[in-house]
Amino acid sequence: MEMHDHKNIEKDELTGDKLLSGHDYDNIKELDNNLPKWWVWLFIITIVWSVVYIFVFDVIKVAPYQQKEWENEIAAAGVPAQGQISAAIDTTIIALTDQASLDEGKAIWQKQCKVCHLEGGQGLVGPNLTDNYSIHGCEYWKVVKVITIGVPEKGMISWKTQLNDADIKKVASFTMTLRGTNPPNPKAPQGDPCK
Amino acid sequence: MENQIFYYDNKIVKNFAYATLFWGVIGMVVGLLLALQFIWPALSFGIPYTTFGRIRPIHTNAVIFAFVGNGMFTGIYYSLQRLCKARMFSDLLSKINFWGWQLIIVFAALTFACGITTGKEYAELEWPIDILVAVIWIVFGWNMIGTIIKRRTQHIYVAIWFYIATFVTIAVLHVTNSLAIPVGLFKSYPIYAGVQDALVQWWYGHNAVAFFLTTPFLGLMYYFLPKAANRPVYSYRLSIVHFWALIFLYIWAGPHHLLYSALPGWAQSLGVVFSVMLIAPSWGGMVNGLLTLRGAWDRVREDPVLKFMVVAVTAYGMSTFEGPMMSTKTVNAISHFTDWTVGHAHIGALGWNGFLTFAVLYYLIPRIFQTQLYSRKVANLHFWIGTLGIIFYAVPLYWGAITQASMWKEFTADGFLKYPNFLETVTQLKPMYAARAIGGSLYIVGIILGVYNLVLTIKAGKFLPEEGASAPALAKAAGKRGSGEGIHRWLERRPVQFSIVALLAILIGGIIEIVPLYLIKTNIPTIASVKPYTPLELQGRDIYVREGCYTCHSQQVRPFRSETERYGEYAKAGEYVYDHPFQWGSKRNGPDLSREGVVNGPQYRPNSWHYNHMMDPQRLNQQSIMPAYSWLISDDLNITNTAKKIRVMQFLGVPYPPAYDSKANDDLMVQATGIANDLKSQGIQVEPGKEIIAMIAYLQRLGKDVHSANLPTASVIRK
Repeated sequence: MEMHDHKNIEKDELTGDKLLSGHDYDNIKELDNNLPKWWVWLFIITIVWSVVYIFVFDVIKVAPYQQKEWENEIAAAGVPAQGQISAAIDTTIIALTDQASLDEGKAIWQKQCKVCHLEGGQGLVGPNLTDNYSIHGCEYWKVVKVITIGVPEKGMISWKTQLNDADIKKVASFTMTLRGTNPPNPKAPQGDPCK
Repeated sequence: MENQIFYYDNKIVKNFAYATLFWGVIGMVVGLLLALQFIWPALSFGIPYTTFGRIRPIHTNAVIFAFVGNGMFTGIYYSLQRLCKARMFSDLLSKINFWGWQLIIVFAALTFACGITTGKEYAELEWPIDILVAVIWIVFGWNMIGTIIKRRTQHIYVAIWFYIATFVTIAVLHVTNSLAIPVGLFKSYPIYAGVQDALVQWWYGHNAVAFFLTTPFLGLMYYFLPKAANRPVYSYRLSIVHFWALIFLYIWAGPHHLLYSALPGWAQSLGVVFSVMLIAPSWGGMVNGLLTLRGAWDRVREDPVLKFMVVAVTAYGMSTFEGPMMSTKTVNAISHFTDWTVGHAHIGALGWNGFLTFAVLYYLIPRIFQTQLYSRKVANLHFWIGTLGIIFYAVPLYWGAITQASMWKEFTADGFLKYPNFLETVTQLKPMYAARAIGGSLYIVGIILGVYNLVLTIKAGKFLPEEGASAPALAKAAGKRGSGEGIHRWLERRPVQFSIVALLAILIGGIIEIVPLYLIKTNIPTIASVKPYTPLELQGRDIYVREGCYTCHSQQVRPFRSETERYGEYAKAGEYVYDHPFQWGSKRNGPDLSREGVVNGPQYRPNSWHYNHMMDPQRLNQQSIMPAYSWLISDDLNITNTAKKIRVMQFLGVPYPPAYDSKANDDLMVQATGIANDLKSQGIQVEPGKEIIAMIAYLQRLGKDVHSANLPTASVIRK
C-alpha cells in the first residue's frame, strides 16, 4: 500500500504479523493485513450486480418499472368476480334462514358493519337496523341492493368490491334477523315505517 | 524534542456520560409506554401530551439524539484528546456543546409533547430549535477540528476520520433538510413539497442513521476495541478502503425508504443498488473489529467490555446485511410499512448503539474514577438480559411483519381481499406486540442494572478531573508529500484537506439524486385536477401534522393489486405538489389515508363517522388501537394565522389567487359551516369553529383530486 520505515520491523507477538511503524495512536498499533479475499469478492459482486441492475432497469429497460408491474399483476388476476349482481337485482329472492349462513353473515357483520351500525345494529353513524323503519326499504332484496351498490353520498359504501354475491346475501340475511331486537341506546328511527 | 505536560479534560467526559445514562433511561421508558399502547390504547390517558403521535417522536429523538448522541460525545471527547495527545481546543466550547445539547433535548421533549413539530421523521424539531442544533453542532465541530489542529501527533487515526465525516455530513444534512419558511415562532412550512420533500427527508433520514448512528460509532469502535482488547488493529489498508467506500456510497442510499412510492423509477433504482453495494464497506468495519480480537478471544469470555463490543459489532454486521436486503424491491414490498422496519431499527439501536455505548461507559468510567468496575457479575447479568431483550424484541416483530404483510396481500378465490378490514391484520399481531414489550422491558432492566453498577463504581472511586499526560510538541512537517509517503498517509497529517475531501465524497450522491427532481419536469408530471388545499383543509392538515398522524398512517398507496383494491388509485408524483411537508409516513399501524375522501372508494367514511371515531374509536370497534382525540372536538380552531399561512404557501409557489389571504377565513367559515350542518343533520351538535371540523375537512379532501382526474389507471381498477 505504501512505503514505511523498514529499519525496525516490529511484529505482533501473538500472530507474527508485521506492525506498521509510525502507527501508534495512544498505544493503539496497526497491522496491515491484506483485505480478506472473500470480502473483496463480495464487494466486486455487489458492484457488478448493481451495474447489471441499472443496465436492465434504467438503460435498456427490459425489466418493468412499478407501473408496468402493477398492470401485469392486474391482468394476471383477471376481472374480479365483483359487480355481477348489481346490474339486475332479483326482487324475488328470499332471506336465508339456515343457521350456518346466518353465522357467517354475523361474522361479516362483526368485521365490516358494526363499525357504523354498532354491534347490536342499534345504529350510530349508520341508521338503526333494529327498529321497524327503513330509509331505503325494508324488503330483503332492497337490503341486498343497498349493501351491493351502496349509498356513497351518505357514507354507505358499495360492498361489491369487498364481498361476493353469496356473502352479501348472508350478511343481509343476518341483518334481517336484527329487526325487533331492542338493543340498548338505539338511534332514533329514520325513513319510512315498514309494512 | 522536549516533552510537554498537559491535562486531559475528564470533567466534560463525565458530564456527557451522566447525560447518556439519564436520557437513555428516559428515552427507553417512553419507548416502553409506546409499546404498551399497542396492547392497551387507554394508556394514551386521553390527553394530547401522551398520545402515540406526540410521544413517538419523543422516544425516537430521545434515543437517537439524547442517549446515543450523548454517548457519542462521551466517547469522542474521551478518545479525541488521547488520540491527539492534546486537551480539548476550548473548555468553553466543550461546555457550550454539553449544555447546549441538553437544552435542545429539553426543548425537543417539551415541544413534541405540545404538538410543535415539522412532521418530518427524526427531524421533527421546529425552526428555532433547528437553528440551535446547527449552532451547537458547529461548536462541536469547531472544538473538534481545533483540537485536531493543535494535536501532538503527526497523523490522525482512523477513529478521527470517522469523527470528521460525522461532523461534516450531519451539518450538511441537518441544514439542507431543515430549510423552511416560518409562519410563527412554533410553525413553519418546509421549502420542499411532496416527492422532493420526501427525497430530501429520506436522504436526511437514512444518512442520520449512517452518520449519526454508524460513522461515529465505528470511530468509537476503532478506539475502544483495540484499547480494551490490547490488540493491534487488524488491517490499516482495510480501514482506508472501507472508510472511503462507506461514506461515498452511504449518501446515495436514501431512496430505498421510498421504493414503490411516487418517486421516479431511476431514483428508486439508485437507492437499491447503492444499498446493495454498501454490504461490503459496512462489513469492512465489522471484519476489522472482530479480527482485531484475534488472539484475545479468551479475554472476551471474561471481560464484560469486550463481550458488549462483540455483540454490538455482530449486531452491526447483521443489520448492515439486513438493510441492503430490505432495500431490494422484493423484500421491501413485505418489510415496508410493517414492523419489520421497526425490528431492523432496534437491532441497530439496541445492539449496535446501545451495547457499544455501554461498552464505552464500562471502559472509561472506572478509568476516570481511578477504580475498578464495581461488579463484573452485574455487568455480565446486564449483558445477558440485554441480549435476551434484543432477541425478544426483534423476533416477534419479524414474525408479525410477515404475518401482516401476508394478510394485506391475501385474496380469496373470488378475487376479493381476504382481510378487507385493516384492523383484523392489527388484532392478529397483539401477541407479538406483547412479546415485544416484554423484550423491551428486559432490555430496560439491563440498562437499570448498568446504571446501578456504574453509580456504585463512581461512589467507590475518586474522580480525576484533570488527567496529566505528556508528549513532545508536534514538529513542523512539510506541507508537500515526502518521498515514499503515500497520498493517504499525507492526507492523514492534513486534517483540513482531509475534511474537504470527505465533504466532497458525501456531496456527490446527494446532488446527483436531488437536483434532477427540480430541473427535469418529467420527474413529477403535473395533474391538472390537483388543486391547493382550501384554508380549512390547510388548517386541518396542520392539525394532522401536529398530532403526528403520520406515525401510524401512510399516505402512499403502492402499485400493488392488494393496495389498489384496499385503498384506491396508487400514488402519483403529481398529487403531492402542494404538500409542505409531505406526509407519506413509514409505518402502517392503521390504514393508509390518502384515499379517505374518495366518495366511491373503499375507504370512504361520512363526516359523522369521523366525528364519532375521533371522539371514541373503541365505541366503533372494540379492537381498535387508535387513541381518542376528544380535544379536537372541544378545542377552538385558531384561525388568526390563516392569512399568514396562505401568504407563506404563496411564497413557496402554491397558486392561491392574489390577495387570497384576506378572503381565506371567509371561505374557511363557509366550508366549516357546511360540515357542521351535515353533522347536525346526523344529530351531532358541534360549532363550525372547532378543530374537529378542520380535521374532517382535510380527511375528506384526501385523494379526491386524483380520483377526479380520470387517469387511465383508474378505469382499469373499477370497470
